[in-house]
Parts: sequence; structure tokens; C-alpha cells
Amino acid sequence: MQRMMQNPKRFFRQRWEAFSQTPFYCLLRLFFGRMFHGHADSDAGDLDLGIGVIVVLLAMPGMLVSLLMFEKYGSLIRFLRGAGPYDPFSATIPDEYFFLVLSMAVSGAAALWRWDSIFLDRRDFTNLVPQPIRLRSIFLASLSAIFALVALLTIVVNAASMVLYPLAVVGSQPSLSLLLRFAMGHAVVMLLAGAFGSLAVFAVAGVLMTLFPAAAFRRVSLLVRFTLALLLLVLLGTSWAVPDWLKQLSVANAHRVAVLPPVSFLGLLRTVWGRGGEPFVAAMTKAGATALGAAFFTTILAYAVSFRRSFVRIPETPDAGPLPRIPASFSPLAPLREAVLRTPSQRACYHFVARTLLRSDGHLQVLSGFLALGLVASAATLNSAPTLHSLVHGSSPPAEFLSVPFILVYCVSVGIRFAFEIPSQLPANWIFRFWLDRERHEARPIARRVLLLLSLSWLAPVCFLATLAFWGWIVALRHTAILILCTVALVEVFLVKFRKIPFTCPYPSFKSYSGLIVVAYLFGYVFFTYYLPQMENWSLSGPWGILWFAPLLGIVLSAIHFYRKQMLDMDKELVFEDVSASGFE
Amino acid sequence: MKDALLKFLSGVFSFYYSEAALFRVSFSWNLTSASGVKPMIRYPAWGLPRPERGPVLEARGLSKFYGSVLAVRDISFSLHPGHVLGYLGPNGSGKSTTVKMLTGLLEPSDGQVVFDGQDIHKNLIAYRKRLGYVPEEANLYSYLTGQEYLDMVATLRAMPKRHKNRTISSLLQLFSLWPHRHVTMGSYSKGMRQRILLIAALMDNPDVLVLDEPLSGLDVTTVLVIKNLIQTLSARGKSVFYCSHILEVVEKVCSHLIILRKGQVIAQGTTDEVREHMGKSSLEGVFLHLVEDRDVVQMTQDIVSVVSP
Repeated sequence: MQRMMQNPKRFFRQRWEAFSQTPFYCLLRLFFGRMFHGHADSDAGDLDLGIGVIVVLLAMPGMLVSLLMFEKYGSLIRFLRGAGPYDPFSATIPDEYFFLVLSMAVSGAAALWRWDSIFLDRRDFTNLVPQPIRLRSIFLASLSAIFALVALLTIVVNAASMVLYPLAVVGSQPSLSLLLRFAMGHAVVMLLAGAFGSLAVFAVAGVLMTLFPAAAFRRVSLLVRFTLALLLLVLLGTSWAVPDWLKQLSVANAHRVAVLPPVSFLGLLRTVWGRGGEPFVAAMTKAGATALGAAFFTTILAYAVSFRRSFVRIPETPDAGPLPRIPASFSPLAPLREAVLRTPSQRACYHFVARTLLRSDGHLQVLSGFLALGLVASAATLNSAPTLHSLVHGSSPPAEFLSVPFILVYCVSVGIRFAFEIPSQLPANWIFRFWLDRERHEARPIARRVLLLLSLSWLAPVCFLATLAFWGWIVALRHTAILILCTVALVEVFLVKFRKIPFTCPYPSFKSYSGLIVVAYLFGYVFFTYYLPQMENWSLSGPWGILWFAPLLGIVLSAIHFYRKQMLDMDKELVFEDVSASGFE
Repeated sequence: MKDALLKFLSGVFSFYYSEAALFRVSFSWNLTSASGVKPMIRYPAWGLPRPERGPVLEARGLSKFYGSVLAVRDISFSLHPGHVLGYLGPNGSGKSTTVKMLTGLLEPSDGQVVFDGQDIHKNLIAYRKRLGYVPEEANLYSYLTGQEYLDMVATLRAMPKRHKNRTISSLLQLFSLWPHRHVTMGSYSKGMRQRILLIAALMDNPDVLVLDEPLSGLDVTTVLVIKNLIQTLSARGKSVFYCSHILEVVEKVCSHLIILRKGQVIAQGTTDEVREHMGKSSLEGVFLHLVEDRDVVQMTQDIVSVVSP
């Protein structure tokens, strides 16, 4: 104690150095690092961005939204609008709800992303258990790493909003105590909400791990992650409707909305601000605290059980990987594939690409993510129709109805196209280098067939049947035909410079125009999912309106054709962008 | 003691292999027919010199069931200081299960593993402190550098910081990994990863080494080094349990041998005795005679007939 008082800096440095040499710290650092760098089964398909990039990506949404709030609450802008003084604790409820949702969704999404890295696996067992350390130490270090990750995620996600948002709302007011009260309440509850988002995902993962054997867990986990991602997106979507809805609720109905976690955390926020006197707010506060406690204890309990059940028993379970696949005796797509896959290399590469896309966790995650985005965007579009009745009645389908398959096609196609760029087991690509002719390759036809078969093979029939049910044969045929033609053109645009077998090349390097490509994709989305359905809606009003699509598609396809024609031969050659996976072999 | 290990490792590179250095002990063994495992026939000790010290590691009637499946049955052997015990068997014979039980990763269904006269599960941490283990698969953390990984293992083994750094640096140089010490292991070749595992097993100067296919993926020079290293370690009183299916290496490196089939020991003794008793000139002949059900020549002809009908 005396030493600490004399030279506290030196004292703490010595303590830290001593602690950093303990096995516990060593394990803690290892487990924390593994959550950012993938699990034992991760192949080249895992995006390994590193802690710095992840932190920046997570902090971005909160910062952007906070900056936008200056435009809403800035004193000068309010003055110019003629808006008067306001009570920050009441006027900010919609924004606070949005921040709560954002905090939960981003923290939950980050936890979902590292889902496979949360639990210790065979690699950890092989490396750590033979060392002279107790299993209890491994368990405690691993659990501590999970909570450290939760803490980091919540702080990073909310860091910008904790500083910028209170400044935007009450920065112009003369009272410092008001600013501190508002900022403290906001910070505490946002951190709790973020922690809840992460813990809820970890708890679900822990419960699944406890209930299922390892192989079955792998099989179901992707489905669960997709569902959770969808729920998080839906949660994000509630921020447009729920704040208005809250105003209409009575105390008796509080329990109905309190099941929505952001609503209950909003109650918690009101209580922290000292506005929790109302019964409705008290009920929400209680629900919020209960949810947080339940998530916390479920995480610990599920993790402890799964550690005992799965990790400790690893040597008794064979390293069999996922469950064996049952070969399908009949595939409805088989005749279609036979018809469109003409050459042996097309057939071989198509099966490789399709199976990688649908079986590799990393690629399937990307595809699922885009599909989830598509579903949410479709739901939002349908929701934007004046009434539900107007969607399925009238002389021709409304644009909202028509745009749904366009949104789904666009999202699925972009997802597949994006997944094509993610490498998978690069050292295994020698087989393609060995067999394929670089000059007379079929990379584009293969990619085209994969994109069309994986998007249209299910969307076109669904689109046709859904339209047939409400508007009859003619409209259904026209709508499906336009969807197919537009998808073909879209795929051609996506593949205009494509010249590689999907998954066989390393990540493309960052180029100066990469940002422009992202912007182009966004404009493409708006054109494809908004203007095209509007045009279609107009064309369906007359018998010959559909013919307007022919010159439009002709122009697009001709432009692509001439662009490819003027490309140099060397720019058309098949590439593998040769980078050896091991520099030492 | 640790410095002595480093000096000794340096000397290993010029070590001359001498079969005379091997100890010879009494042995027991059993025979089998091609149709299955026969009851064990125990032979008496044939007047061979007994080891001076008692066994450092013993397996006493080890059996392991996975559910209702029997993986190994009634395995017993002892490993004395200075012995290199080769553990041979075809795939699925129970080698890895035995290794896991020896290292304390798996609890036996029946029997016990005894180290220095005490069941290892009574003080597993102390046992592991004196054990060096090279697992079958080099399943390492791809995002750690070689040096970081070794540093982590040394910390987990509670090696003193100064000594730890010096040992790791020296071993990295001796195993030709020094230039790559700051490169993440994801880009290491299989041989490099295997060398990292060997360093991790050796650096705390263990009394017992359990090596599960330690030469997998190594180049010729490193294989020679490791073979000599094992001999030198045994000459210095270390005990080595060497699990492998590379018969040529086992024949040269191991003083004693256990051959396993379908979870049971079918031959056990010194390498020369096993060979002599079976009347075979090489271990390969012994192994094929004892273990393989299939006619290799016939199998080869079948393959050729499928490939080139």
C-alpha cells in the first residue's frame, strides 16, 4: 500500500506486468482474439477484417444518425423553422427508440457475425487442455472473453451517440445539469440495450449448443442465424411505426408492447431520467430489467452447460464435421440443369459453384444476409401501399405488388455476385488451373447460369402463381416474362467484366473506383426495384405496353455486347490472380 | 537444467545413431491369426537386463467404450526412463484413444494410467507439467505468429519469463523457424506447423514425451533430426511414447514395440524380439503378418483391373 502511494504508476505497471504473465490473462487474450479471427473450421471464406476495421464499421451507424440529429435539434435550424422550446425528455422519444433499436440491432448483428467463434472448439481443446491448466480456468477465461466482447461491442456501437446525440439535443440549452442528466441516462440505457442485444444472441447460441449435438448444431445454426438476422431487421423496421403507436396505448395494454425489447428499455430510460412515475413506464421498466437479467443468466447457464456437455467431451466425439448429406434421388431442377448446362466444363463448374454457395457457411451467410434484406425491403414496400386491399384488387397489379419479385431478384443476385468474390479453399483451385483453357474458358456462362438458376428457378414460379391467383393468366404471364427478361439483363450487367471461376481467386484488391461501384449498385437498386415496376405497371394497362420493354432490353444487351467486343483479349482471359496460400511451401 | 536442454538440442544435430544405446527389457507378446484376435500368450522374460528404475508411466488394463462401442480393451504396458515405446496399428485400431487416455484428455472406462506410481487423474496438472505432447493434427491458431503461440504455451506452462524467451528464441533458430517467427501460422506449411508443435512439446523439458505421428509433413533433414533427437532424449533418460504408422521410422527409433489390432495388443516386446519371433526380416513383414487381413498383391491387381480393365 505504501509503495502504491509512493509511485502509483510504477506500482500498477508492475501489477499489470505480473498479471499479463498469468495463464488466465494469456487465455483471456487468446479467446478474445479468436472471436475476431474466426474459428477452427473457418476457411478462406471467412471475412477476417481485424479488430480496427470491425470497430469502425460498428461505430459508423451511431455516428451518422447522431450527426443527422444536429439537423433536427440544432437551435439555428429550429429558429429558422419557427419551432419553439421543447422538453428534451418527451420530444426525443421517437429518436431514443430508434437509438435503442439501433444499439440492439448492431450489437446483435455483430454477435451473430461471430456466432461460430463464441464457443470453444476442437482446436482449443487440442492446444489448451494438454497444458497444465485447469478446465475451470479455461471456462472462466472464455466466459470473461464473451463478456469483454459484449462490453466492447456495446461501447463501440454507442460511443458516438453517447457524445454527439446529447450535444445535439440539449447542447444549446444553458443548463449543464440538464445536459449531464440527459447524457448519463442516454448512455446507461443505450449500453444496457446493446448488452442485451449481444447477450440475447449469445444466450440463443448457448441454448442451441446445449440442446443439440455438435453436428446437428451446425446444421440448424445457419437457419437460426438467418431467423435472428431477420428479427433484428424487423426490429429496426419497428422504429418507423412503434413511437406513434406508443402514444395511443393505455396502461392496461402496456404488457402487450413491453414484449418488444426496445419498448421496455424505453421505459428503463424514462425511469433513469426520473420520469418513471407512470404505471405504464413502471411496467416497461420492470420488463426491461427482467429481460436483461434473463439474457445475462441464460448466457452464463447455457454456456456452462454447453462447456461441460460439448467442450469437455470433445475427445469422445469423432471429428466428423457436419451431418452426412443424404443424396437427393430426385431434384426438380435436374431437367432444367440438363437443358442449360451444355458442356462438360459448364456442368462440372456449375455443380462446384452451386454446392460451395449453398454449403459453405461464409458464402451462405452472405447470401442469407442479402435475402433477409430483400425480404424486409419487400415487406416495407408492401406496407407502403395505401391499403392491403389495394394490393390485390384493381384492373392491374399496383407497383408495390409488382416490385416485390424485382427486389428479391436484385438482392439475391447481388448476394450471389458478392459471394462469388469470397474465396473458398484457394489451394484447391489447382484443379481448375489444370483443366481449364485460360483463353477459351466459360467463366461467364457458368456464372450466368448459376445466377439465373438460383434466382429465377424459384422466384419466377412464385411470381407467376401469386399473380395468377389475383389477376389471371395474361397478367401473370406478362409479369413473369418481364421479370425474366429484366433479370437476364441485370445478370449481364453484373457479369460484364467477369472472367473467373467463382470462389477460386483471392479477395479483389481495393481500387480507387470501389466506392463508385457501391454507389452504382445503390442506383441500380432504385432503378430496378422502383422505376422498372412503375414502368411495368404502366405497360400492363394496355395490351401492347409490354413491347416497350423490348427496345430497352435490346439497348442494354447491345451496349454490353459492344463493350465486351472492344475489350482486349488479355482482359478476357481466365484469371486466378495467383497468390499462394502458403508462402513457404 | 533448461540450459542443458538447449545445449543438448544443439548437439543433437551431430548425434550419431547407435543401436547399442538402446535398453533391452523383458517382454510379453501375443499372436494372432488372420481371422481374428487370439487370447494372449505371455512369454516369460528371456533373461534380458531389467531396467534400473521403475516405470515412469504405466497403463494398467486400459479399456475405453464410446457408448457401446469398444475402442480399446485391456491395454497394459509400462514405459521406463530411457525407453522409446513404439505404438503401431492400422487405422481405427485404438492408437489415438490410447494416446488421449495417456495424456489425460480422455478418462478410461476401465483401468488407469499411472505416472510415478500415482493415478494421473489425481493430479492432472502436475502430470501435464511433466508431459510433452505432439498431437496427431497440427490444428493451430492460424492468426497467431509462431512466436506468439509458443509464448502462449510457455505462459500456460508457467515457465519463468526470462527463461521462456531465451528457450523459445533458441529453439526457433534450431528448428529453422527464426526468420518466420513473426509470420502468422495460417501461412505456415505443414512441416513448419509440425515443428512448432515439436518446440511446444520440448521447451519445458518434459520427462515424458507423447508423440502422435510427429514426423508428418516434415522434410528429410528435419525427420533425421527428430529421429536422432528421440534417440538422444532416451539416452538421457527421457521416456518417449511414439505413436506412428511409418514402420521404417519406428523400426529405427523405438526400443520397444506394441502392435495393436481392433483395440487389443497383439504383439509387445523389444523391436528385435518381435522381429525375430515372427521370423521376419523387417517390421513391415511383421506388421503385415499380424495386422493386415487383406492380400496386398491381390488388392493391387484389383485396383489395376478397375483403372485399366
